[in-house]
Formats: sequence, structure tokens, C-alpha cells
Amino acid sequence: MQAVSLHPSRKPGENPWKALLLVLPMLLFAAGFVYYPFVKTIIQSFGLVNFRGELTGFAGLDNYRYLFSRREFFAALKNTLTLALCNVPITVVLTVGLAWLCREKRWISPLLETLFALPMAVSMSSVALIYRVLLNPTVGYLNYALGLSVGWLTDRNYALAAILMMTVWMGIAFNFLLFLSAFRGVPQDLLDSAALEGAGTWQVFWKIQLPLISPTLLYVVCTNMIQAMMTNGPVLILTQGGPARSTTTLIYLMYTSGYGSSNYSLAACVSVIAFLLTLVFTLLIFTTEKGRVNYQ
Amino acid sequence: MRKTFVWILAALMVLAALPAAAQPVHLTLWHSMSEDAGLLLDSLIAEFNATAGKEAGIEVESVFQGQYSEAVNKMNSILVAGQTDTLPDVMQLDATGKVPYASAETAYTAEAAMRDHPETDMSKMLAPAMANWSLSGTQLGFPFATSTTVLYYNKTLLDAAGASAPATLADIGALAGRLPEKTADGLDVTVYAHVPNTPTLCNWLGQMGSDLVNQHNGTEGTATALACMDNGALVSFLTEWKALYATGALADTAGSTDAFVAGQQAVMTGSTSNIASVLEKVGDRFELGVAPYPRVNDAAGSGATVSGSCLAMFDHGEERRQAAWTLVCWLTSAEIQARFAGGTGYLPANGDSVDSDAWKQLVAEHPQYQVGLDQLMQTPETMRSVTVGPSADFYYAIMNDISDMLEQDLSPEETADILQEDLEGLLTQYARANAQ
Amino acid sequence: MRTSPKRAGIRPGDIVALALAAVVLFPVFYGLCGAFKSPAEFAAWPPAVLPRSFGYTENFRRVFEQAPMMRYFANSLAVAMLSTSVRLLLAVLAAYAFVFYDFPGHKLLFFLMLGTMMLPADTLVITNYQTVTRMGLLDTYLGMSIVSFVGASQMFMLRQTFLTSPKAMREAALIDGCGDLHFIFSILVPAVYPLLLMLFLQSFLAQWNAYLWPLLVTNRVEMRTVQVGLTMLTTFESTNYETILAGVAIVMAPTALLFIVLRGFATRAMNDGPLLS
Repeated sequence: MQAVSLHPSRKPGENPWKALLLVLPMLLFAAGFVYYPFVKTIIQSFGLVNFRGELTGFAGLDNYRYLFSRREFFAALKNTLTLALCNVPITVVLTVGLAWLCREKRWISPLLETLFALPMAVSMSSVALIYRVLLNPTVGYLNYALGLSVGWLTDRNYALAAILMMTVWMGIAFNFLLFLSAFRGVPQDLLDSAALEGAGTWQVFWKIQLPLISPTLLYVVCTNMIQAMMTNGPVLILTQGGPARSTTTLIYLMYTSGYGSSNYSLAACVSVIAFLLTLVFTLLIFTTEKGRVNYQ
Repeated sequence: MRKTFVWILAALMVLAALPAAAQPVHLTLWHSMSEDAGLLLDSLIAEFNATAGKEAGIEVESVFQGQYSEAVNKMNSILVAGQTDTLPDVMQLDATGKVPYASAETAYTAEAAMRDHPETDMSKMLAPAMANWSLSGTQLGFPFATSTTVLYYNKTLLDAAGASAPATLADIGALAGRLPEKTADGLDVTVYAHVPNTPTLCNWLGQMGSDLVNQHNGTEGTATALACMDNGALVSFLTEWKALYATGALADTAGSTDAFVAGQQAVMTGSTSNIASVLEKVGDRFELGVAPYPRVNDAAGSGATVSGSCLAMFDHGEERRQAAWTLVCWLTSAEIQARFAGGTGYLPANGDSVDSDAWKQLVAEHPQYQVGLDQLMQTPETMRSVTVGPSADFYYAIMNDISDMLEQDLSPEETADILQEDLEGLLTQYARANAQ
Repeated sequence: MRTSPKRAGIRPGDIVALALAAVVLFPVFYGLCGAFKSPAEFAAWPPAVLPRSFGYTENFRRVFEQAPMMRYFANSLAVAMLSTSVRLLLAVLAAYAFVFYDFPGHKLLFFLMLGTMMLPADTLVITNYQTVTRMGLLDTYLGMSIVSFVGASQMFMLRQTFLTSPKAMREAALIDGCGDLHFIFSILVPAVYPLLLMLFLQSFLAQWNAYLWPLLVTNRVEMRTVQVGLTMLTTFESTNYETILAGVAIVMAPTALLFIVLRGFATRAMNDGPLLS
């Protein structure tokens, strides 16, 4: 059960060109439709871009300097980091817990699996529209049911929490399914022998199950962090960044500055910063992969 | 044999006649009307195709292109890609599309169209509505879905308190404490909820004879600075706004139609384009009053700027240009404008619409529709809506900074300085990138 | 497969799980119910969860009246199928290479692929529009789906799964003279198909719900997708909640059905054993 190296099945000496050939199709599309436009974005962040999106001159670091002088930027940075830092642990604890609860295959499993997986079938915009009704203080059900009178989307103290609630909700189904199949991938003989040795449920979880689901854990932590850093849709539909910058995220700021304000170079700066931040976080998470994530 | 011959002859004649029958000119109209307004527009286009269009040999296809911002986006993308043949013949544009449209090589502006058609009299179009679609002295398009901001009020509630429709911000403040605290359902009642944004701030400044930004609110050139600092208009407004908040009558959140309709909010400022739906939602819960947009104070004038969208044309050759002109004339005719207004709440932009049966009938039934039109006519022509490049950033900066004044108890002077710094920063950045 | 005997009976854990499921699914249920409410019911206080009658179908009638929804469904289906299939194919090939081959720069390439997730699509839209227009793909299914052929998150998940696969499996296959592609499609893919199904669903749904890009690259009404239809009948500022929710229900129904059916397959497959062992 000792931790193994990053690429256990790798066979050095095999023809690397074959590998490149296999990666090539994806690489081509990534180059054409992601990195080529992104390189243009990077250039734009150092340039002057007119209202049509055409590069008209060189601005050096001025765009970045201007961005760093705006309150909106720091609010967006704070909100985005808050979302990412809250979303990941909440999602992980919640979905690992649910999957653990449902891990055994029993008569009730198909029902529970379908129920917990169903939110996946609902699109982001649909969820957001439903939440808009549900959280509405006048016609919505939530305040009435809880006996509150909270402007979930209009009060600067609650709006970010409402966005967080929605983004967590959207991730439940898929992550639950992944963890469920990971839990079921834990060999029964390991569990049986642990039970024979008198290990408690808690010990089994920490010593056997958790290490064995760690590849899935790495995936979930990474993708949720990235998605949280990219939060835009719910903000766009529910709060438009308000009230008073309390839900402005980096990508939303990029959206309003770019599309809404014909300020493409500013939008480009925000994109570049969001990309770099997310990349650094991802690399940090991946450094924990070495030695901790167990590819059995 | 003879019968066959007749048939063949007939078939030949039909075939010969086919190319002779003029192919209808095919036009594309891009619009951004959703919900009932979208249905209404589609049915109007169908009617055009069956009547005036058929006579003139024109067939129009109306295509929804998302909301205004999305349609403008698309226009921009097409212009950058240089794919001007994919542009429509006529497009519904809002104010954010003015600058890119004006720069398009294939724009067939209203100005040019009127020059080409001196025989057609467009002077019946309402001047304030027309003025909204002029940029740097060029008339870009013709007003189609025209609206202005008015005050909606719960007449039943105000009557019970012995109050009449508030005319100024101070009047709204005076309602504090005079209304019942709870509705019949036990819900809290507020007087008014709003966070000033670009158009509403522009309205209040305009009432004091001030523009928000220079270059006549950006309609005569690219705006570079605020125009409401030295004349004290911004500080005057902020002072009144803060005083209103202090009375407790103002909630520092965006107004909610739901709350207003549910009787939880006594007055609401909003676009006339919502009248139809507000009337429908209010039903017989209470009597709906519509009054002119509230004035900043007794010293200020009245009125509010125009918003909405216009019909802008693109040049796809002589034949389609002619056809587009025919369509635009039809859509802006007195009759169609009156009917479109009746189904939505937009104001008829054609001066003759008020004499049409459709309008007379509408106003007889719901006099509320008339208020916006009267206000539009009384608004001084010098009061123009704001055209700035960074429109979304501008909009939110205004809301956020004014909201901060109330929540963090900043002085109007401090807030004005913050606004100036934020807004001029945006303008400078934009002007620099668009210097060429 | 280490099946334990079917364990019958209700346990406390089941009650907890069911209660949690009820909480999680409440918004969906609430939204569905809202589609059957009249405007008057939305206006009434106190707000109710259930509609007065599930026979009130006026909202749905309005939705279908406003937009050719059936055509939109067909378009969305075509676009989602096309982009999801290509996306998974590319992801399987790339993930396989990253796991089973050691080649120079594989780490950099892997992070480059992963990096595609960290770029907001909105940044790329204008340039991609130009590219797609130059390729002559306006108003085509290919043009609508081509920008989503890269599925980094799917590739990443496949990598995680392939990494846990026993070395012996591939070695044996290669000794048998099995080529890479043959190994991938006749051994690896069948072995991970429950996961592929899940990824297919996830990716299909994401494509089904795409809005901005399909709107941008289509000029003709008959090429529009369901999400565009949804926007036509309600703006985001609209307060016609009953119509909004009817639209949501209509857009959701086919995906939910597809989901329940495919989930059945996936569940059965998962019940046969854990992935790749």
C-alpha cells in the first residue's frame, strides 16, 4: 500500500512519437481555439484595444496599473478567492460524506444514486433561474419557509453566500458519482481484513478508504477549485456583481469590462491574472500529488 | 390529343411567366424583443409580409439575436471579422450600439436614407425620441421601441394615507411613517427602493440643467470628464439623496416590481416599457397610479431621458436599401407605433400615433399610458441620455459609489470626488484606447 | 466481484441519505411545480410549493407558441452529440498517451491541456468567431461545436482512472501483439465505460446548455438551440416566473430523462465491479 510513483505503468523507451500522435488531435484544437486566442488576449493586455476589439497600440503595463487602482478589482479578487476557498472544502466534505453513506450496494442504492445524481441534469442557467425565484423575498419560498425576511440577492451580507450555495449545489451530483465509484473501487478483502483486526469505521475510513480514493480526491479538488475561480454564470444571472461589488468575481469583472464596456484590454488583464492565479493553485495542489496520492 | 396540347401550352405559359413574376426582395431584421413584445413584433412582421410588403415585393425575415448587448456584440464581432455581408438589412439597436454602428462602413444611416428619400416626410417623428439616436450630429436610426422612466405608485395605499403622488424626492421622504408598517399579509412595507444608475442619475442631473459627462453627455463626441462637478449639480443631488435615505423612506436596494405589485413598496421608478406587464400583474389588487419622474427638489425642472432602441439599416445594394427603407417607414408609421405601444408600454415615437384609434382606445382604457408620452414631450431637448464607451463599468460604478455613501455614511462631497475619480478613470482609459 | 448478499431493510443511514436527497432536490422540485402555477398563484401570499393543479398547462403552451422548440431540441441534440463524442475521443487518446507513455515534455503538455480549463471562454469568443467565420462554418453544427472539442476535465479524469489500472493489463495486451488503438478501444474503453458514460453525460449536458456561442455563430432561426429559445421567452430581468419555470422545465425534461435512463446503465455497470480491476 505504499505510495507509488507518478506514472506507474510508464514504459520508458517506447516510441515517444506515437504518444505525441495520440495527443496531437487534442493539442491541435487546444492550440487553435484556446491558446491562439489566449495569446492574443495576453498581447491585448499590454496594448491599446479599441471598442471593436482591434489592437491599436502598445500600452506597456498601464492597463495592469489601472486595473490595480480599481476598487472593483480588489473586491473581485477577494470574492473569487472566498468562493474558491469555501467551495472546495464544502463540496469535498459534503460529497465524500454522501458517497460514503451510499457506498454499499443494496436494494436502495439505485434510488439514492439517481436522486443524488439528478441535479446534474439541470443546467447552470436553469438552476440560476430556479434559485432566482426561490430566493426572491416577495414570491419565493425560502424566506417564508425559514420565517426570515432576508434579501438573499440584494443584501450585501448575504449575496455571496447565496452564490456559494448555488455553486456548491451544482457540483454535488457529479462529484458524488465520482466518489461513489471510487469508494466502490476499494477492494473488499482489504476492508474485511481490517475488520478482522478490529479497526473501527473511522480508522477504516482514514487508513484504507481515503488513501484509495485519493486520485479522485485530487481530481475533485482541482476541478472544483478551477471552476470556482471561473465563477461567472450565477453572478451574471442572479446578482450582476451587486449589491455594491459584493458578488463581483474576476470573470464577471472581465465580462462587464470587456463586453459591457468595450474595454477589451482591461478584460484581457483580468483574464491573464485569473489564469495565472488558477494555474499557481493547480500546481500547488499537484505538488501534493507526489507521495500522497495513491495510484494503487 | 387536343386536351394534352392545351395542358402543355398551359404549362409552358406558367413556366414562361415564372421568371417574369418579380422575385420578392428578401430582407433580414434582427431584433432583441423577447416575451410578449417579441411575439407582437413577429406578428407585425407577418402582417407586413402579407400586406405592404407583398405589394412592394418585399419579404422580411425577423430573427431574434439575443438581448441588446448580445446583438451589439455580434455586430461588433462581424465588423472586426469584416464579414459585412452577414449583417442584416435592419437591426434593432440600443444606445450601446451607437458608437460601433456609426463606425461601420456599410451603415446606411437614417441621415443618408432621408437624403435619398426627400419625398418622405419624417418630421412627424417626435423630436426627443429622434434626438436620442443622433451621434455627433448624424441621425443614425429611427426610434422604434421608445421608453422613458416614470413613477409608479400604489394609489390605494397613498390615498389611505391622505397623500398624493410624490412630485419630488422630498415628497417621497415625507411618506415615511405615514404608511401602514405591514401589508394585510403581514409583510413589511417600504416606501421606495432604488440605487441610482447611469440613466436615473442622468435624469436627476438633467432636471438641474446639468449633463453627467461632457460632450453633451457624449452625444457630440467622446466624453472625457464629468460635467456635473463644477456646477455643483452632483453634490446637490447626492445631498438630496442622502436626506431621503435619512428619512427612512428609501431602501438602498434596486427597486423590485414584485415587491411593488405585492403592495410591499409604495412607489417605484421604472421604464414605461413595463406598463403593460405591471398593469396585468397588479390586476385589481390596488389602483395603479403613474406619475411623472420625481424631481430632485422644488428648484429642479422635470422630465427624464429617453431610452429604448432604434432601427438601424445596413447597405446591401440599391434594391435591398430601398426595401429596408420601406420596412422602416412602415414600422415607424403612426398606426404600427400605436399598436406596438399598446401591446408593450413603449411610447409611440410617431407624433401622429396619438390620433390613431388604437392609441385613443388604449388611453381611454388605461390613462396611465399617456403619462410617459406627455413627459417625453415636456422634457427639454437638451436633456440627453448618456453615451459612453465603458457603459457597464460606468453603470455599476455609479450604483456602487452612491450605495457606499449611504452604507458607509460618506459626505456628498466625498462621494462626488470618488465618483469623479472612478468615472473619469474609466473615460480616460477608454479615450486612450480609442484615440485613432 | 465481491458481492455481499443483498442487504434488505432500512437503516438509519438510509433515512439520513433520503432526507439529504430531499433537501438537495428541493429546488428542482420547486422549480418544476412553479411551471404549473398561474401568475395569480405566484402573486399569492403565502407562497406555496405545490401548484393548485398540475393540469394548468398554459405556461407550456406559451413557451411552444413563442419559439419553434422542437427544431431547437433537434439542433441542441446534434450539437451536443457532435461535440461530446469528439471531445471524449480526443480525451481518451490524450489521457492514454499521458499515462502509458514517457515522452519529452509530457508534463508541460499535460498542464497545457489542463490550462484550457483556466481560461474563461468569454475571453476567447471574438477571436474564435473570426476563426470560425474564416473557416466558413457560420450556421453549421460543426461551427457551433468545434470550440468545445477540447475537454480537459474529461481528459484529467480519464488520466486519474488509467493511472490506477494494473500494469499487467496493458503489458499482456501488448505481448499479444495488440496495437495502441486496438488496446484502447477493445480493452481500455470497455473497462472504463461506466466512467465514460458519466463523463459523456456531464459533457453532453454542458453542451446542451451552451448559449452565447451558439447564438453568436448562428444567424438563422432554424439553427438555434434550446437555450436561445429559453432566452427568447424570458429575459433575465423578467418577472414572469411561471413562464421562466415552464421554459426551464421544458429544457430540463429531455436531459433529465436521458439522464435517468443512462444512469440506470451506468449503475448496473458499476454494480458489476469497480472500474478497472
